[in-house]
Amino acid sequence: MAGMPPTPAKPVYRGPAKREVLAVAIGGLIGTGCRLAIDAALPHAGHAFPWSTFLINLLGALVLGWLVGGLWKVPGMPRWVRAGVGAGVLGSFTTFSAVMVSLVGMSTSGVIGETLVYLLLSVVLGLGAATLGLRLGTLEAHRRMPRGISDQGETL
Amino acid sequence: MSALVVAAAIVGGSAGAVIRFLVSHRLPVVRGHLPRGVLIVNVLGSAIGGALLGLVERTAVSSEWQYIVVSGVCGGLTTFSTWTVETIELVDGGRWRAAVLNVLVSLVLGFGVALGAYLLCR
Repeated sequence: MAGMPPTPAKPVYRGPAKREVLAVAIGGLIGTGCRLAIDAALPHAGHAFPWSTFLINLLGALVLGWLVGGLWKVPGMPRWVRAGVGAGVLGSFTTFSAVMVSLVGMSTSGVIGETLVYLLLSVVLGLGAATLGLRLGTLEAHRRMPRGISDQGETL
Repeated sequence: MSALVVAAAIVGGSAGAVIRFLVSHRLPVVRGHLPRGVLIVNVLGSAIGGALLGLVERTAVSSEWQYIVVSGVCGGLTTFSTWTVETIELVDGGRWRAAVLNVLVSLVLGFGVALGAYLLCR
């Protein structure tokens, strides 16, 4: 219509690319499969210290931190790789709900001391693992030149 | 645990991961907000996990279904790694208050809904 000022287009939310969603789905199969395998190798009763979940979560936090701090910053890293490995594999490998369910199971069985130890160790060591991973990844990303290249005026 | 139940749990975990990805894609981490995407799926998964724990206790639900829904779907839906890494990234960005809140709110809500759902359903 003449005389009407052009209205700025509203930003329309666009969902993720199909390729990213597919990568997450496949990564989810791998991460969940690995978690269930470790759970089966280290079974625990509902009120016992859940070693499998504990180790899985620390390992997952360390590796995700390392990727986020390092590899994810490599220029040209495709989004679907980040989605598939980060949100897919590591996201589904680690679990928050299992920690909460274990805390409920342990605390309602009366092992309050063990419940608190599990909670504190998970949070403190989990944050520590993520920090360590991020720092190691950052070191990796900032490594300037590959070794073994002689400084003879050659170019890469 | 039959192979079919394990396969169903793995597929459930994949479905959970896709839901988590879509939620956190829709609600990306922005200034002025806690990482809402992960918070929402973690609290939702904890509620479902607590409910199933209660339902299994009064044998309203079989342990096979608990395995598929809790170890599978909720395990894939919720995440510990992204929660901790996003918290440290808040610290690295100087957002100490948001980092502390992200830990406390996730734990209090996650444990609260899991315990509440368990007590309601058992």
